[in-house]
Amino acid sequence: MLSTLHPPRSLTLLPLRRFHGPKTIVSAASTSPATTTFDAASVSPPQSQILNTRRSLLSGETTASELAKSHLSRIRLTEPQLKCFLHVSENVLKGAQEIDQRIARGEELGPLAGVLIGVKDNICTEGMPSTAASRILEHYRPPFDATAVKKIKELGGIVVGKTNMDEFGMGSTTEASAFQVTANPWDLTRVPGGSSGGSAAAVAARQCMVSLGSDTGGSVRQPASFCGVVGLKPTYGRVSRFGLMAYASSLDVIGCFGSTVADAGMLLHAISGYDKFDSTSSKQDVPEFESQFLSVDSLESKPLKGVKVGVIRETIEEGVDSGVRSATQEAASHLEALGCVVTEVSLPSFSLGLPAYYVIASSESSSNLSRYDGVRYGNQVMADELNKLYECSRGEGFGKEVKMRILMGTYALSAGYYDAYYKRAQQVRTLIRKDFKAALDQNDILISPAAPSAAYKIGEKKDDPLAMYAGDIMTVNVNLAGLPAIVLPCGLVEGGPSGLPVGLQMIGAAFDEEKLLKVGHIFEQTLKGLSFVPPLLANVA
Amino acid sequence: MASYPVSTIERGCVFNLAMATRALLAVISASPRTIKIKTSVSSCSSLRLQRYSRKTHRIARSFSSDTNPSLLQPPDVSRLAETARISLTPAEIEECEPKIRQVIDCLSSLSKLEGGNLREDAPETFENRDGIRASIPSFEDAYLKVPKVLNKE
Repeated sequence: MLSTLHPPRSLTLLPLRRFHGPKTIVSAASTSPATTTFDAASVSPPQSQILNTRRSLLSGETTASELAKSHLSRIRLTEPQLKCFLHVSENVLKGAQEIDQRIARGEELGPLAGVLIGVKDNICTEGMPSTAASRILEHYRPPFDATAVKKIKELGGIVVGKTNMDEFGMGSTTEASAFQVTANPWDLTRVPGGSSGGSAAAVAARQCMVSLGSDTGGSVRQPASFCGVVGLKPTYGRVSRFGLMAYASSLDVIGCFGSTVADAGMLLHAISGYDKFDSTSSKQDVPEFESQFLSVDSLESKPLKGVKVGVIRETIEEGVDSGVRSATQEAASHLEALGCVVTEVSLPSFSLGLPAYYVIASSESSSNLSRYDGVRYGNQVMADELNKLYECSRGEGFGKEVKMRILMGTYALSAGYYDAYYKRAQQVRTLIRKDFKAALDQNDILISPAAPSAAYKIGEKKDDPLAMYAGDIMTVNVNLAGLPAIVLPCGLVEGGPSGLPVGLQMIGAAFDEEKLLKVGHIFEQTLKGLSFVPPLLANVA
Repeated sequence: MASYPVSTIERGCVFNLAMATRALLAVISASPRTIKIKTSVSSCSSLRLQRYSRKTHRIARSFSSDTNPSLLQPPDVSRLAETARISLTPAEIEECEPKIRQVIDCLSSLSKLEGGNLREDAPETFENRDGIRASIPSFEDAYLKVPKVLNKE
């Protein structure tokens, strides 16, 4: 039981490996990169919360109501410091009781029965506030569920609440929320990443079991890295975006957070598939990912024999934190020990992705956000003239970062500027896609760090947009190419009361999430000696 | 694998997270290209025409003040805010203008990319024009003939 919360310095530490010097890092296979044998006293591999819930509900070991109560009480205890949620549902317990009644009647249960799910606030939930952390949508309650949410509910999942984010997804720290700043459960003075910072921190702090986020340029993967959880960005088109508030439509996807690869994968399976309400959703088959999540005991000694892994050279060069670089290299060694063939690959267009991304995302947002005009929904500032009504509603409703991006997009799309910015950016996008294709023709997956550094301090980059944008370098290219990627914790660097997690990004070919989940799961289950439970939860029974 | 002519400074600008500002100093000039401004509008209601020409005039004026025609005009935040229908206080303009300029400057590195590896987007003349014309049921003096679209009623 989590009895009290202390300021970070007095938080009890988990029995993590000790640091040996100022630059020492703890990471994948740091004991012995060439073999898969580790300390006998190591921490056991993380277990899927979805599968555990299913098992314990069916065996009668626990009830959905008990699970819901324990999570709600953890939310009550940790929320004052973490601030992950903008809204906690009043129907959690009711939903859980319904599941228990179904169990009592011997009815069939959906695969997500009793699973407690956080939903990013830019994903519409019927009757529940959905604001995208913007004043312009304060108090807005949509009259419908996003398709992803609808599917989750149909499968028995329970929406716990709406998680905090950077306004409309524009930011990398969750500081750009109009309502509150979320803290990183590993160190309350640091950012959880963004824009899906609330969803990542809520899973890290075990306030919910899994959560939904959205990823336009890394908004699922970077906070997953900062909070030490698994973040999965599916292929563009894999998941319907009906009900996701559009930021940059050619890049946006809904993604999944879990404390294990299996959880993220099973949540993805639940929300994937064609939807007539989203013409960009794909009719490709959604494979049954669950068969990939084998128990660690059933694995052979080289379970990933022959899997070709390319380390993206440009992501482990100068400019990337040395601890992050070594964690990535250690992760590559761990994959090698599992039987993978690891080589370096180069993506010559890599560095062009960042400016191209910011041109495309800003341009598309300036168009997408024109719908918030104070007329049809959201907050209205009355004026005697229509243009004044638009201008004042938008001027008062949008935050600084959102205004800035709309203005940059307006600039880039202006007559005469289009060729220099938007068209160029689209050309760069073609180059990036080509380079990825060439690299993925020769490799099964590509790996890179998820971000150039671990979580930084709240306020550190708030007034320096370029420094903050530069942090997205590892992730934006994947959105430009529309590829799937998974981020999972692979090591710790020094910082905070007990180290800060570092995420490894694995990138796959379009619609091949299955391979990412297989490799990711085996990587995670064999990564012994490390536990990615934040210090905040150290004294939770 | 192919390589692209991108200067190391630009790579630094967009890649090196700590050095973004350093690179900024180096990437200030934008691409050499001319900007065409549409100056004549043939069929518009007089009101729209008036508005349109006022706008083009303003744009044209803002370019004509440019001493170097090869440079793109830096963002004028008040005008952008008017276009985007967002009211900004003078303090907000003062705060975000330098930031927007800084970011736009950095994004200008894109225009230095040479598009050699990309498909040329150039029109080609289709030779057999008569073949196409022959399949048009009713054709006269470069026009396709159809029944009248607008009626008086």
